[in-house]
Amino acid sequence: MVELNGRIDTTNADQFQQEVKPLMEGNQSDIDIDCAGMTYTSSQGLRTFLLLQKSVNARGGKMVLRNMNPMVKEVFDITGFSNIITIL
Amino acid sequence: MKLDIHSEMILDEYRAQLPIFERLKDIVKKQLQRCLDENNILVSGLEARIKNENSLERKLAIKGYKYRTLDDITDILGARIITFYSDEVDLISALVERIIEIDWNNSVDKRKMLETDRFGYMSLHYVCRLPKSVYNDPTTPELNQIRFELQMRSTLQHVWANMYHDMGYKSDVEIPMEYQRNMSRLAGILELADEQFSLIRREINDYRRNVQSLVASGNFNEVPLNGDTFRSYLELKPYHRLAEKIAAINQAELYEDSLMPYYNVLYLLGMKTIGDIENMRNEYSEGAYQLALLQLAGTGLDIVACSVALQNLCIVSVLKQGFGKAGLLKLFNLVYGESSYNAQRAKRVFEQAQKINLIQ
Repeated sequence: MVELNGRIDTTNADQFQQEVKPLMEGNQSDIDIDCAGMTYTSSQGLRTFLLLQKSVNARGGKMVLRNMNPMVKEVFDITGFSNIITIL
Repeated sequence: MKLDIHSEMILDEYRAQLPIFERLKDIVKKQLQRCLDENNILVSGLEARIKNENSLERKLAIKGYKYRTLDDITDILGARIITFYSDEVDLISALVERIIEIDWNNSVDKRKMLETDRFGYMSLHYVCRLPKSVYNDPTTPELNQIRFELQMRSTLQHVWANMYHDMGYKSDVEIPMEYQRNMSRLAGILELADEQFSLIRREINDYRRNVQSLVASGNFNEVPLNGDTFRSYLELKPYHRLAEKIAAINQAELYEDSLMPYYNVLYLLGMKTIGDIENMRNEYSEGAYQLALLQLAGTGLDIVACSVALQNLCIVSVLKQGFGKAGLLKLFNLVYGESSYNAQRAKRVFEQAQKINLIQ
């Protein structure tokens, strides 16, 4: 399981993308992300989750985000991303 | 098995040519598959085999005198296309004729050989050659000279033929008339079933075309809501304008996601026809936009999924029908699956809806 902590915003979105790059390029089929420590995500963060999900799906796997705090979940809900990404 | 000298010579020829037959088998199979793929035809099976030595020996022992050389035996290599439906056999044979040279004098349509009151083996058998226009290897011209057999039949014809083959053809004992008759009766039943499958498929295709034309013509109230009709409706991009309007709140990128998962949601919300969901769109688009405006304005979120339009329409529909927080919770459970988030979200959205007077 991968753990995410803190904010994903304009100041660190590129860094976040770099950090998840090994997950995109790796061969791990399923990716489980614990979002308990994540306090915010910007649009850039949403885009990165989308890219990560696409790469995981392309290799036949599934990406799941877990333990999201309600404020972060709200971002996924109001943008319609809860319809695209599996959040448990 | 004791064979005469003539048959032994044919058998030797067979052994010597086996590698070429193996190669031809692979080429034929590949060419047939390509032909099917290029014409977007799915079949139940495509197979090819080389007659094994024992089987050839048996054949030679019984009627070796009929063959001058191995070339006269046309089923050393046999390929078979098994279609899903009996009416596809003619279509596939027409396509195959374009890529393979048919020896019409030795080909036979066994479907047409049975008398009107007889039921039994039904299959189209072509004796063929691979023309140079399809495959040419100057080092192995035999590949274009060897004749092979291609059988085409439906899945049910294949089932019957396999059973018949297994029960009688290989046996040394002749099948008694009584059992022959039972096999013929089964062949009759399968022939009827084959026809029914083809008929049902034609009717389903007609239904789909009708529905597509009704959806395209805008007669939505006459179109029952089901997976097919909803898919046709979505091709009209009914939610795109609302999604674009929502995206414009933050000058956001619109991410095109699938709306098909909402089919079950709409169905369970009681929508019976495409007209019902069209009415929902007409009546509640403004409310759905106002909700998005309240939620997104000032957030700086500059990407939204297309599905947010239909998501908000469903929310407004539930609220306008007076189902309140409980209705929202039910909706979110349907859309996202049951989760602890849903109750909080139902409460929050209910409060937001009150702020913009969506709830009277």
